[in-house]
Amino acid sequence: MSGSRSIVKLALASSPASVDSARKQPAIQVSNLSIVFDTHRGQTVAVDRVSFDVAPGEFVCVVGPSGCGKSTVLNTIAGLEVPYEGDILVEGSPVGGPRPDVGMVFQQPHLFPWKSVRRNIAHGPRMHRKSRKEANAIADDLIAMIGLKRFADAYPNTLSGGMQQRVAIARALANQPRVLLMDEPFGALDAQTRAVMQDNLLELRDRIKATIVFVTHDIDEAILLADRVLIMSAGPGRILREVAVKLPRPRSSTIMVEPSYLSLKKDCLDVIRAEGARAFNQSDSN
Amino acid sequence: MQDGTSAPQRIAVRSSGRNRRPDSARLRRLNILVGALSLPLFVGLWELASRSGAVNMVLFPPPTVVAAAVLEWIRSGQFLVDLTASLYRVTTGFMVGGALGILFGILTGQFPVMSSLLSPLFHILRPIPPIAFVPIVILWFGLSEAGKLFLVVWGVFFTVWLSTHIGVQKVDRGLIRAALMLGTPRRQMLQEIVLLGALPYIVVGLRTAVSISFYTLVAAELAGTFAGIVYRIEIAQQNMQTGQVMGGLAALGLISFIADRLFAVLAERTVWWR
Ligand SMILES: Nc1ncnc2c1ncn2[C@@H]1O[C@H](COP(=O)(O)OP(=O)(O)OP(=O)(O)O)[C@@H](O)[C@H]1O
Ligand SMILES: [Mg+2]
Repeated sequence: MSGSRSIVKLALASSPASVDSARKQPAIQVSNLSIVFDTHRGQTVAVDRVSFDVAPGEFVCVVGPSGCGKSTVLNTIAGLEVPYEGDILVEGSPVGGPRPDVGMVFQQPHLFPWKSVRRNIAHGPRMHRKSRKEANAIADDLIAMIGLKRFADAYPNTLSGGMQQRVAIARALANQPRVLLMDEPFGALDAQTRAVMQDNLLELRDRIKATIVFVTHDIDEAILLADRVLIMSAGPGRILREVAVKLPRPRSSTIMVEPSYLSLKKDCLDVIRAEGARAFNQSDSN
Repeated sequence: MQDGTSAPQRIAVRSSGRNRRPDSARLRRLNILVGALSLPLFVGLWELASRSGAVNMVLFPPPTVVAAAVLEWIRSGQFLVDLTASLYRVTTGFMVGGALGILFGILTGQFPVMSSLLSPLFHILRPIPPIAFVPIVILWFGLSEAGKLFLVVWGVFFTVWLSTHIGVQKVDRGLIRAALMLGTPRRQMLQEIVLLGALPYIVVGLRTAVSISFYTLVAAELAGTFAGIVYRIEIAQQNMQTGQVMGGLAALGLISFIADRLFAVLAERTVWWR
């Protein structure tokens, strides 16, 4: 994991906002976001008046039960779910579609099967009119960073799930996004691989300095990674509670046995337990 | 021997016997031997049966007579003429039908309006066997080459159209979302993602269409012509040259076998990431 420094410097140098103004303005502002889907059985309220801000460089995790609208919120911030009700500003400008300063990593890697690892990562830069040479240079930097040098010319179907997801992360980073959205990126991995990936992500995060919104339904993962955890209610999704995670960094998975960590986890679990009971009673009385 | 026909046997062989490893190795060698003997054995039996007097030798000529007929066919120069005529029909028909099939498959697969407009029509026309069009093709085109081409194109088109259509529709939405997030403009989505995503389906459709183009060739040449492998078979039948008929059939089988194999190799290279 070296050779990435050049990219990082580039990313910082090319950022239009100065550090001062960035401090004043949140990287992401979501206010009163509601999303209603038309289905054949009528309308489903997927997200109900969700509001939150994310500060520049902050790492926010969103947890909540399955179907509560986590992916929908993330997709909307990404510009994949338009139109929407409410306001979303990224770096101060409203979201109206996919944009170059927002990158996304999905639960499935969704690598282009016909492209080698290098070409997959170079795809974004190529789409932004970089020359093949430039794009490959960016890709090779990132490949070194994710430790897959040996697989630069391999096709995705020859990689393990964890390696594929690392490539997907690198591919999203190749456009040097100011905001990185991650939708349960490690959800499909086994526990061991996931732990390694979490440590990798923390390391990576220190270098790229992007703002990260990370969706998961794993409380441990959320507390380990985040500066702040947003806990969502069962559908229609609202934000129940924000929990600030003031654990020292750099962190690694060994943090999970410390008392400060455990008390944070208990706070979160209490909120989730109460919400679970409420949702259960509600569905019972209907 | 990469076709699926020998796979079930191999599986059966592997799972039988107590000392599986040495046993299966010996049995596999035996299998290869039997495979190599298959054709000579069949031809030998046929020769014996024909010459035994148990069957009518005029209707069931032995392989030696068939071989003589084929040799004569080749020596007279007629074989080359017939082969060229047939191959020309198959390849042009295949290419025109394949190109149209891919084009319309992309249109209907990618644009719902096009699908609403064309799919019902195509689905009604598709199941009609091309041979049923022979009478009307003779009315429309007479004995011209255009009529033959029409039949082959017709047969190839629908297979390729349908598989392309399905391929385009089945392109992983996730790939498209990923591509969008990476800044791929929507107007480049077709070339960047959709075509490549559909490619495996298109290739399968084209491969099926190879054998279909040979089926329709039969219909095309029976619709009246002056040269061609199937035409030669028909003429030989009228002259009671059973050896020539069988030689023609063997030639047809061999050619379409080779075409299929060539295409299989080509297909493997086309979907390069597999
Ligand atoms: N395209 C769609 N059309 C109709 N309903 C949808 C659509 N996408 C999501 N929904 C509905 O919106 C709600 C929220 O879905 P979403 O995928 O955002 O949940 P999630 O929190 O990401 O769940 P999970 O943890 O299982 O990924 C669900 O009730 C779902 O059925
Ligand atoms: Mg989800």
